[in-house]
Amino acid sequence: MNGTTVSTADEYMPMAKEAGAISCVATVDHKRIGILYLVTTFFFFLVGGVEALVMRLQLAVPRNHLVGPGVFNQLFTMHGTTMIFLVVMPALIGFANYFVPLMIGARDMAFPRLNAMSYWLLLFGGLLLHFSVLAGGAPAAGWFSYTPLSESAYSSTQGPDYWILALLVMGVGTVAGAINMIVTILTLRAPGMTMRLVPLFVWMVFINSILIVLAMPALNASIVMLLIDRQLEAHFFTALQGGAPILWQHFFWTFGHPEVYIMVLPAFGMISEVVPVFSRKPIFGYGFVAGSTVAIALLSFGVWAHHMFAVGLGRASDLFFAASSMAIAVPTGIKIFNWVFTMWGGSIRFTTSLMFAVAFILQFVVGGLSGITFAVAPIDWQMTDTYYVVAHFHYVLFGGTLFAMMAGLYYWFPKMSGRILSEKIGKAQFWLMVIGFNGTFMVQHFLGIMGMPRRAFTYPDLPGWGALNMISTVGAFILGFSVLLLGCNIVWSLRRGTQAGDNPWNAWTLEWATSSPPPEENFERVPEIHGRRPLWDLAHPETARAPVKTDFCPEKNKTSMIVFIVSEGFFFLMLIFAYIYYNYTQKPGPDAASSLDARKTLLFTCSLLASSFTIWRSETAFKRRRHKPMVLWLIATIVLGAIFIIGQGSEYWGLLQRGITIRTNLFATTFFTLTGFHGLHVCIGLMLLTIVLVLMLLGDFKNFRPRALQIIGLYWHFVDAVWIVVFSIIYLKLLL
Amino acid sequence: MGLGMEMRFEGCPAGVFAVVAPVFSPVSPQAEALSHIFVITLLVCAAIFGIVTLLVALCILRFRGKPNAPEPLQITGNERLEISWTVASILVLVGLFVLTVHAMNVSDPAADRPADLTVIGHQWWWEVRYPNGAVAANEIHIPIQSNLLIRAEAADVIHDFWVPQLGRKIDVIPGTTNSLWLRADAPGEYLGTCAEYCGDEHAWMRILVIAQSPADFDAWQARQLQAAATPPSTLAAEGLKVFRAKTCVNCHTIKGTDAETSVAPNLTHFAERTTIGTGVLTNDAESVRLWLADPQKIKPGCHMPNFELTTNELNALTAYLETTK
Amino acid sequence: MTTQQFLLSAWGWNPVVIGVCVAAVATYGFRYRRQNGYFLAAIVLFYLTLASPVGALANGYLFSAHMLQHLLLLLVVPALALLGLPELKKDSGVRVPPLAGWLGGLSAMWIWHERTLCNAATTTTSVRVIQIISLIALGLMFWWPVIGPQTERRLPPLLGVVYLFSSCVGCTILGILITFAPVGVVCPVYLHPVDRLGILPLLRENWGFTPAFDQQAGGLMMWVPACGIYISGVIALLARWYRAGETSVAAPEPEPVFPPPRTTRGNA
Repeated sequence: MNGTTVSTADEYMPMAKEAGAISCVATVDHKRIGILYLVTTFFFFLVGGVEALVMRLQLAVPRNHLVGPGVFNQLFTMHGTTMIFLVVMPALIGFANYFVPLMIGARDMAFPRLNAMSYWLLLFGGLLLHFSVLAGGAPAAGWFSYTPLSESAYSSTQGPDYWILALLVMGVGTVAGAINMIVTILTLRAPGMTMRLVPLFVWMVFINSILIVLAMPALNASIVMLLIDRQLEAHFFTALQGGAPILWQHFFWTFGHPEVYIMVLPAFGMISEVVPVFSRKPIFGYGFVAGSTVAIALLSFGVWAHHMFAVGLGRASDLFFAASSMAIAVPTGIKIFNWVFTMWGGSIRFTTSLMFAVAFILQFVVGGLSGITFAVAPIDWQMTDTYYVVAHFHYVLFGGTLFAMMAGLYYWFPKMSGRILSEKIGKAQFWLMVIGFNGTFMVQHFLGIMGMPRRAFTYPDLPGWGALNMISTVGAFILGFSVLLLGCNIVWSLRRGTQAGDNPWNAWTLEWATSSPPPEENFERVPEIHGRRPLWDLAHPETARAPVKTDFCPEKNKTSMIVFIVSEGFFFLMLIFAYIYYNYTQKPGPDAASSLDARKTLLFTCSLLASSFTIWRSETAFKRRRHKPMVLWLIATIVLGAIFIIGQGSEYWGLLQRGITIRTNLFATTFFTLTGFHGLHVCIGLMLLTIVLVLMLLGDFKNFRPRALQIIGLYWHFVDAVWIVVFSIIYLKLLL
Repeated sequence: MGLGMEMRFEGCPAGVFAVVAPVFSPVSPQAEALSHIFVITLLVCAAIFGIVTLLVALCILRFRGKPNAPEPLQITGNERLEISWTVASILVLVGLFVLTVHAMNVSDPAADRPADLTVIGHQWWWEVRYPNGAVAANEIHIPIQSNLLIRAEAADVIHDFWVPQLGRKIDVIPGTTNSLWLRADAPGEYLGTCAEYCGDEHAWMRILVIAQSPADFDAWQARQLQAAATPPSTLAAEGLKVFRAKTCVNCHTIKGTDAETSVAPNLTHFAERTTIGTGVLTNDAESVRLWLADPQKIKPGCHMPNFELTTNELNALTAYLETTK
Repeated sequence: MTTQQFLLSAWGWNPVVIGVCVAAVATYGFRYRRQNGYFLAAIVLFYLTLASPVGALANGYLFSAHMLQHLLLLLVVPALALLGLPELKKDSGVRVPPLAGWLGGLSAMWIWHERTLCNAATTTTSVRVIQIISLIALGLMFWWPVIGPQTERRLPPLLGVVYLFSSCVGCTILGILITFAPVGVVCPVYLHPVDRLGILPLLRENWGFTPAFDQQAGGLMMWVPACGIYISGVIALLARWYRAGETSVAAPEPEPVFPPPRTTRGNA
């Protein structure tokens, strides 16, 4: 039990050791948080599933009156939002939470309390979203909330506002979780586990977390702008005063397409763990699987406009995005062959887990191939926004990701609970799910080809439409039943399931090197790492290679701040982009030249830049262990920062005096949003610096141990750097 | 009373395939190009799916592990194999891309002249404006075998104009104009729909394109310019009074009366149309009466309120609207 | 003029360009014993970029052709040239700090597309020459830390990935801005080219390069193919990294960039 030097003990609350309900709430153990994630997402999965079943009932026959359009539109909006943000993403994060630290031989996540916070933000975000039902109606603008439909003129209930706030809350939690995951994987790997020896699931989660860190800010920035439109009557996405509804689509899909990969990459990781173990062979082409994942992640930021082929962006744009969308199919598609060739020549054990993995492969191929038909822009011009799309993304997300999660659940449940899920019920559930899933969604391809638009609450009784919709509805209920069966299996197996032992599948990664379920500190002793399959190497020492030293192991606090800064940088990029986009050409009303005094701004800009220098001096003094200069330079920093804020405040005051508010025109909208968010960051920085100062004065820095100053210093430099960009975009040309 | 769109296709066996798979029943060169590339792509996809399925099936059949079998040969990969399937998939996609460029050029040539007619998407109906000043709603009459350039606009939110047998779909976006080539080579009625979710009644925002011989089309277009006839009967005259008294004029136009706003469909030639409520009901006296009695019951959420007309008013208004030929 | 006539006739035979190319090849041939095809490819591509019809089009006719030229000169020619250089010892030759290389590569993208500079480089020969030289120079600087000849000083592979990806983001933003900017905002000269060669009708009508299409294509060029180059670089780095891992696991690992942390888990 005592194999660990508990240097992270200060990060555990003593409460977590207490038993009972309170420990569940107070826990910071990554395993229990992982379970909390999984239980929560299973609950939301049932909610989203019931929503889907009601929709399928409404669509079972033509011209049905079970629910009206109002309710139906809320149902599909909530179904989409729930399944994406409250089920698929957090369930994958839940698995990652439980297994990544185990698979890399760590004791916990890098920041256990931050980890708990991410979970609670998710839960409360989810509750906030559903609270909208009580507050006058759920959002009904679809999960991508196209403007201007989602603007207050056309969505007058508070649904979209709750939707925005809930997504922001969850978004913050998700980004925090992703940063935590990146830092965990970079810094807590067992000695000898270099980045090219990590299990593929860990690698995929790593790349996935990078995607989250880069993509979520795009969503956060765009929904913040939508919120400003709705609450402050600004004009980002209304067609009035030159706002561009299309810009919302660009912004949203900049997030939305990487999001698709955020929802499949960890699933790829699970398949890459399950298939080798049950085929008794290592993964075929580890380097290709891992490397192609990086390619997917990078390319995923360059393909979003394939969601917008019908918008009429212009031929050039359609051509390039068709090409890039086809390009991303290559690294995605070749993985299929890697998995198939992992099975080839193996000694396959047909457990439920493997059966789900095989179904995943075939169904994902269907979803991927229908995805190719969308990359072919002319086909997209026919098939987008029809049931063909609905079929396509359900094949990817349900037939793909959810089946992979099933494979992962049957594979890892013994580790989490100590008992194996019943294979007998499991196989019944598998077949029901395959039949139900394909019954529901295969026919939807045909419905799309027949011309049925998606998101329609009912449809005319044209030849064939009623019959196919009925098949789809029946399929959906079979699917629902299979989910119930899964629930039964879990409940039954928790009580009566076969005892698992440490390693029931004879698997090779580190999570199987400890007891099931693992003790709180995870490992009594982490085996020596020689290669990608530590437990195989233990059993076959004759083939094991010599251990290597860990390759790349940065300091965790600094790393987390750098990753956070990158994420914030992307947030500001969106705001800056909106400013440039809307101020290319002269618009009626005030503009930068007519309303801003660049000389005055230059003064307080200098003050902010000087504060970067002073905080650097303070850091230097900290490194040289000189207390007094450290404190003085820090005070200077705070004063300079405050001068900046006061300067900005007086600028705002002047504008408001002249009647220029955020609703005046697009210049004012984008100007106030961009500089306002920057000012907010400066204020947060000032607060943090003040806290550090107080701690210094209280004597916490006597031993020069805390790293807070350096970390906040990084943040402060970042805020200054953003201002340099903002200044050169808004003010510089006024000075020249 | 009949059920909107469905009535158009009853007892029309020749058209059944066209209704069942409009995407694969093109009647214009544009739609033909789309159908063609779709078929090719589907065949390529089917071949790839076949290969993967075959490989998986072989794995399942040949490599089923026996109990207590020794561990198989531990192969970690084969670089040559990996590179060859990567290259193969790139080649397939390059081929598809070449076809894509061709299909795009055929199905969506650049707009090079002023538009022939303007289509405006409203929540939840379509306004159609012809260059000669005629205004129609929901039913788009076009002459056959002529390339028409459509100017697509939106009055409120984003909609999408889609008639699968005639060609691509195009979003109609507030603040932006898009253009689209529309052509039908054979006379007939072609079903379409709004494809972009646009709010409550997105489902009932159907389109009917009626392709006619040029002579028929010209006659129709000329007829649209005529003002509505004076009500022939006293009941109908009573109906016109109701129409004017009940604020219908705030939204609808009937040429020849003082009703001149275009917030809602132009009703000058209302009785000629085949459906009402953008496809919800067939246009006959009984349906019109039902609709007027409570539009919110027929099409919940639509922008026409329930005017709570009395039976007499209903009868009169229905009689009047039936005369708007 | 037909397409065929244009493609045959629009070749430039500028003696200075030819002279530079010959001199470069000659120097390379004399200087280095161990040679490979990359350097020659770089020179041939350099020549084609300037003297082929692409060069003619870039010279005032098409913004998209200009962008293609820009990319080739900044990203492809220098990369090939560096790959052609034999390996250097750690302490010989110049040292380019990664931050300088990164900023150099990115600023070459951004600064030359500022409106006045972009116009000047298209209309004035002297500015144009400066542009070409600066692109090659900054391109060499940009690639140096990643594929420079001092193999020991190259960035560790994962940092190289970050280096290239962040550059990709940088030029993506510029590409997006150009693609969706109102027509003619970026580089107005290309709106109404002086038709020296009499090919404008051919371009506008037969090829379909309207000013709007041209600008969009140019912006997208900067965005999609440019990122394609960066991402190919990323893939090449990863392939090398994994291959190194496959062959000799015990090979010395790259230096950690940050100091290693305290051990947070013990397995004593």
